[in-house]
Amino acid sequence: MNRDRTSLSTPSPGFGLGLRTAHYADFLAAPQRADWLEIISENFFGEGGKPLAVLERVRADYPLVMHGVALSIGSADGLDDGYLRQLGRLAARVQPLWISDHLCWTGLQGRNSHDLLPLPYTEEALRLVVGHIRQVQDILGRRFVIENVSSYLTYRSSDMTEWAFLRQVCEEADCLLLLDVNNIYVSSVNHGFDPLTYLQHIPRERVQQIHLAGHSRAHDGGEHLIDTHDHAVAEPVWALYAAACRHLGQVATMIERDDRIPPLPALLAEVDRARQFSHQALSACADLVPA
Amino acid sequence: MSASLLGLQGEFLACLHNLPHNFAALVSDAGPLSRQRRLQIYHHAYRARLVEVMQDVFERTWAYLGDDAFEACARGFIDAHPARDRTLNDFGGAFPAWLAERFPDDGEVAEIAMIDVMMRRAFDGADAVPLRIGELAARPPGDWATLGFAFHPTMAMAPAVFNAASLWDALEQGRAPPGAARLPDPLTLLVWRRDFRPHFRTIDSMEAAAIDHLCAGKSFARTGEMLAAGYPQSDVAAWLGGRLRQWLDEELLVGWCDLESGRGD
Repeated sequence: MNRDRTSLSTPSPGFGLGLRTAHYADFLAAPQRADWLEIISENFFGEGGKPLAVLERVRADYPLVMHGVALSIGSADGLDDGYLRQLGRLAARVQPLWISDHLCWTGLQGRNSHDLLPLPYTEEALRLVVGHIRQVQDILGRRFVIENVSSYLTYRSSDMTEWAFLRQVCEEADCLLLLDVNNIYVSSVNHGFDPLTYLQHIPRERVQQIHLAGHSRAHDGGEHLIDTHDHAVAEPVWALYAAACRHLGQVATMIERDDRIPPLPALLAEVDRARQFSHQALSACADLVPA
Repeated sequence: MSASLLGLQGEFLACLHNLPHNFAALVSDAGPLSRQRRLQIYHHAYRARLVEVMQDVFERTWAYLGDDAFEACARGFIDAHPARDRTLNDFGGAFPAWLAERFPDDGEVAEIAMIDVMMRRAFDGADAVPLRIGELAARPPGDWATLGFAFHPTMAMAPAVFNAASLWDALEQGRAPPGAARLPDPLTLLVWRRDFRPHFRTIDSMEAAAIDHLCAGKSFARTGEMLAAGYPQSDVAAWLGGRLRQWLDEELLVGWCDLESGRGD
């Protein structure tokens, strides 16, 4: 159970939210019920103006973490030095608790998808990603946090499961994990695997953060799910989160909403719900420990 | 490097960018979805994401063209200009030029898009502290011979041949835009950020020339001499004094420099 988890990660700062422009005014006007905030790194790569001014003010009131979408750790043609310099500059400015991006690739040789594309789970991809994460960690001077993505296809060349690949990446690169519970659920439906099996095989001592988000059913009436982040967290994802809490213990958790963004109180209610799930799981674990 | 991973990623991108590819052969057909459907999800997501980005950046162009025409243009542009930058922050920079070719008889469309993209660039461009009039007031008259000025780092100019500025203003305020028309004389669009808000106005050729001279490192006095040669009918000294005051009021100026000594602020 969680009490055995000897963590390599930073202690949990509690329950947070992804900072979005729609809520800037709320966060600047009054303290909100979020213990910490996650920013999208690339949204603050500009040289000045309102984004950086807001960031400075928010930073004074909340611990921040940086979450990127464009590192492309799995690109076969290597990492982008210019991007890494921008990321390093922002990290020096923000002094985040940690920095994360996705276990995916987004582009190659000057062409881009602007999507979080899945990697083949092969030895070749493993070696490449581990080398790139080590390179990033050397540049940033800290353990990097890598997130599992949702996916809609797998490759014929893959010769291991996603969870086995993820575990090996984390262990060999000595990095940390951002566990996106919604992504596990979405991929489990799209590929037909058991999400609890995935959960049981992650390196739990390396889980730094959990993402909770909403998804959508395919527009064409198909049975597959799309990771849209435009709805409230779905009940099956809450159930999987409860299982994650029992398995992992206390982990920094946040609500990630990127589209059809509702007023802040609606998202804070979801943050509160995450708190309740986590506390219930911890209480249940405590009950099992003899006095 | 890894030839097979490189090859797989190249095939995937070729599929997304509508180039010849054999990506389907690399994708597993296991699971509840057909291989073709799996490819379609990514193919659709690539375009949908970029259209959304363009709707955000080119909000007034979108309002001017309407939903269907804008989406058709955005998709045409996306197919003609596959994404190349690492981040989405500059995506669509070439859209005004693409629209100019797409609508050769409706030049205002490209100019509205140009205002959109210039305003977006100014939004998070570099900061600078505006120059205050008091910092100049104490200077001895002789100093002005070698005095140069720095404009706000977000300041940018572009040609304005149509009444796109009026159209853009109307669209921003939710008013019905006036009819598109070619301007009697070409103007220049001037964009910059004041506090946190991008601004623009159109300027005539004399003001554009003055700003060009000053940005090229000419002193205020030398700029006046050059303008006097180019605009002999004008009272250049009075006009330039008025512009200086206006630029200070508008927070367009952010520094001065004595071009002889290099001293400045």
